[in-house]
Order: sequence, then C-alpha cells, then structure tokens
Amino acid sequence: MVQAAMCEDIKEFTPENQAVVFSITIGRIFCFTSFDPVPEETFIYHNWFRRDKLSKRIKLSLQPPRWSTFSSFQLREADQGPWRVEITDKDGRILRLFRFSITD
Amino acid sequence: MTEILPFISNIRWQDVFDITLNSYILFRLYILFRRTNVFRVLIGIALLWFIQRIAVFLGLIVTSWALQGITAVAALIIIVVFRNEIRSVLQARNLKAILWGFSDKTVDTPVEIIVESVYELARTRTGALVVFRGKEDLADVLQGGIPWHGLVSKEMMTSIFWHDNPVHDGAAIIEGNQVTEVGVILPLSRRDDLPSYYGTRHRAAAGLAEATDALVIVVSEERGNVVLARGSDMRVISRKEELAEILREHIGVTAEEWTYLRRGKLEIGMAAIVSILFITAVWFSFTRGLDALVTLEIPIEYMNRDPEMEILDTSVNAVHLDLSGSGALIKSIRPAQVQVRLDLNKAAPGHNTFTIADENVALPPGVFLKRVQPSVVEVTVDVPTKKKLPVQVDWVGRLAEHLILTEVKLSPKNVWVLGGKRILKNVSTIYTEEVSLDNIRTTGTLNVNLMFDLASVKIAPDSTDRIKVEYVAEERLQ
Repeated sequence: MVQAAMCEDIKEFTPENQAVVFSITIGRIFCFTSFDPVPEETFIYHNWFRRDKLSKRIKLSLQPPRWSTFSSFQLREADQGPWRVEITDKDGRILRLFRFSITD
Repeated sequence: MTEILPFISNIRWQDVFDITLNSYILFRLYILFRRTNVFRVLIGIALLWFIQRIAVFLGLIVTSWALQGITAVAALIIIVVFRNEIRSVLQARNLKAILWGFSDKTVDTPVEIIVESVYELARTRTGALVVFRGKEDLADVLQGGIPWHGLVSKEMMTSIFWHDNPVHDGAAIIEGNQVTEVGVILPLSRRDDLPSYYGTRHRAAAGLAEATDALVIVVSEERGNVVLARGSDMRVISRKEELAEILREHIGVTAEEWTYLRRGKLEIGMAAIVSILFITAVWFSFTRGLDALVTLEIPIEYMNRDPEMEILDTSVNAVHLDLSGSGALIKSIRPAQVQVRLDLNKAAPGHNTFTIADENVALPPGVFLKRVQPSVVEVTVDVPTKKKLPVQVDWVGRLAEHLILTEVKLSPKNVWVLGGKRILKNVSTIYTEEVSLDNIRTTGTLNVNLMFDLASVKIAPDSTDRIKVEYVAEERLQ
C-alpha cells in the first residue's frame, strides 16, 4: 500500500482535503487506498466503525499491476461521533487504521 | 371459619415451639417460686403492668408514665430485695429439680420421730429450740448457724441439745426430713406480756414466730414442758398427739393427705393451662396484633460469589422493604435485624437478573414481608482483567468553515484499563470526553479527560486518564 487517506473528495485518483474531522455538511467522505505493485488479483476490506460498532464493510478488488480504490460514506445527522476505518487484507490483517470524527 | 383455617395454616412449627418453650419456662417459674414472697411481688408487678396498659389505652398520660416507671424500677428492686430468697430456691435444688421437679415440700417429714424426740428432751429436762419454716424465707432474720444436713432421728436430736454440745444453745432448723442448721440465733421478742419465767430461749421462739410464719418448739429446761410458738401465740402442748397434729398441719401433711395431693395436682394442672394461655395471648399480641407497616432501606448482601469473578456493576445497592407486623414489633425493629441476601453461586459472567423473594430476606420472628422495591436486581459479574486500549478524541461542535483539522497527536496514545474480561472483549477504543471544535482557530494543544461509558470499566492504577491532544489546523484550499 503506497497511499491511504481519509478525505472529503477524490479527484483524478487523488484524495483532496485529508482530515481527521468531517462536518456532515460536506455530505460524503471517502477512504482512499492505493497499492503498487499488485502481484495478483486480490481484494481488501474497508471496515467502517462508529465507536466500536461495525457500521459498514466494503469489499474492494485489486487488479495487477497497480490499483487505487476507495470506499465512501454518506453522512447523516445520526452519524455524528467518533469513527474509525480499518483497512484489512482478504485474511483480515489490518493494513492501516484511520481515526476521525463526524461533527455538526 | 373461613378466616380461621388460613390463619391456622400460617402458624409455623417455630411458633408452636416458641409458645411451648415460654409456657414451660413460665410454668417452671411458678412451680419454683409459688409459695415465696417473690411470687407475690411478681404478681403485683404483672398487675401494675396490666393497669399501665389500660392507662395507655385510656390516654391517661401521667398515670401510665408513673406506672411504667414504677414497674421498671420494681423489676430491678425485686432482684435486689429478694436475692436471698431467689438464691435459696435455686441453690436448694439440682438442675433436674429446677427443670422437672414438682414438689417444694418434703412430705415425709418424720413427725412422729420429732414429737418423740421433743418429749424425750422434755422428760430429761434438756432445753431445746426447734424451728420449722413456713412459706416465708428466714435468711434475713436468722443469724449464725452451722450447716448440719443430718437426717432427723431421736438420737441426733438428743445429741444436738446435749448440754456439752457447743451448739446446744442455738436453734435447730428442720426442713423435710433433715436438720439443716444448728446453733442458729433467733431474734428476741420485745413483748412485755410474756410470763416472767420465760427465759431467753422462749423469747427467741416468740421473736421468730412474731416476725415470720415459722413454727417454733421450745423445750423448757426448768419446767420440762413443751411450748409451741406460732404467730403471737405461745402455749404449752402437753399431748404428743396434739403436737403431731399441729406439726402435720404446718408442714402440709394432713390426715387427708390424698386430698392434699389431689389439690396439688389440680393446682399444677391449672398453672400449666394458665401458662399456655398467657404465653399464647402474649404471642398473639406480638404477632397478630394491630397490623403496622414500616419501610426500611436495606443494603443487599451478595453471597457465594465465584472467587475468580468480581461484581462489576449492580442496578441497585439497596432495596426498600415494606414490612408488617404488630405495632410493638414494628416499633422495635432495627435495620440491623433485617438482611437481604442474594446468592451469586449460579451467576454467570455478564449480566444476571435476580428477583428478590421471601427466601432472600431474613426478618425477625413475627415480622412479615409485604413488598420489595425494586424486586428485580441486575448484577454484572466478570473475571477482572487489564487491557491496553488506544485513545481517540471525541470531537463535537463545528469547526470554522475555512479550517481543516489535518492531524491529531495524543499523549499517551494508549492507556491500560481494568474491567470484566467479557465486557473488555468488545471494547477496542477508549474515548475522551467531548472536545469542542467551536473555538479552534489555529493549531494548538489541549488536555482532556477520558470518558468511561461503562461503569464497570476504569483506568488502571499505573495509567493516566488525562490526555494531551496536539492538533494541526490548516486553511482550507478550496
């Protein structure tokens, strides 16, 4: 994994406005991951947790020779609070962990 | 009838035992003290108490107050004033006699031997003074005396009053078939109407007879006659038969012995019945009297916890108990007499729900449980463990629109916490208290506390719950 970020937007496969606090007014947030090289076709998971409760689990495939991918989350009023996203390989090993908050 | 049956079914075996035991104790006290002054005074105190209760019922404030004081003081005084009498009753009997014996008099007093002995002493002009106790205790009026405890016989009587015997001048006390004491000094009478030829021996006999209900026989050394003193009466008894008859009457063995015994049995039977009725009435007044209610807050005691587990949380630490019973019992009840115990023997790790039932509540006899509030208790038990958790800031509020919070560094990043194994298994992050974004204008540092959502989870002693937060705020580019 060469890059990973929590961001407000993704433009031309580049994360924009990386942050640790996101306002629900921006509407959607993204978890961006980029892998190079990717020896063979595989997949990863983006696990979104609100506090310690799994809220969303997204399976993303990776294609050789390199691959960038992301998951996103639509923000609602009820989603305010501390969050984390665990990026794991297909075997569940944590590759990266982001902690952030969704606020007013 | 419909009310009696459920009432009878509510009587426990403990109640029956309670009534029986106390009835027997009362009955035994009657048997032991029935012909003593103590018993008469006890009856007086009981009567005072009864009148005091009536005075309370009628609302006679001063009367009831005064009677209550007198009754309380009288109960103390009886022990002091009648200590000798109480001691003589208890010491004179062995344990079996105290618990079971019925006879307080020896019916086989050898009257004939005594009469023969007395007249033999008279014939030989040997002075003698013989005392037969009545119902009253003589300890306070007698002086000196040497314990003897010898069976009555003509030879012994002659020997006691023999001129050369050191104790011949005093009186001999006869109880049952024994000479219990000799050489006893009796109080002298101060009467001036006694014949002038009466000496010290006669005056001593008159003195004791006047002061008590004892019967005293005097054998005159000078005239060789037998004088009997009883009450204020002193007279010469010249016939053996007459003396024997008077002695039998005094001791309690009359010619109609059978009638006497039958009357005795009837008296004992009546005493037993009255004892049972009295104690049953007292029991009723305590347990089935006016129904009174009280509410007590009692802490819950958790018993039989698995030593490996700890109580991490409870929904309540104390419960309110509504108790009922007679006014006297409810008025005297103290929280220390009431216990609420929950058995955690079967508690599993995690949340356990217990319903408090009658068997969990220990109450004094005669007090009944009406209601428990709350009746359901939640108890969380678990194996205590320590876990390292990462810390995360709980941001709230709104960051200024032109800013982005790009980075946060925490010190320490992780903390150790203590809690139940089962609970901590599902906890992977510890959060700070809410930290407001509203006032953030630039990069800075804050110190915040950790927030423990679960009451059963707490910071480990070697860790800190104060977290330093360093944040980076940057201008939004677009």
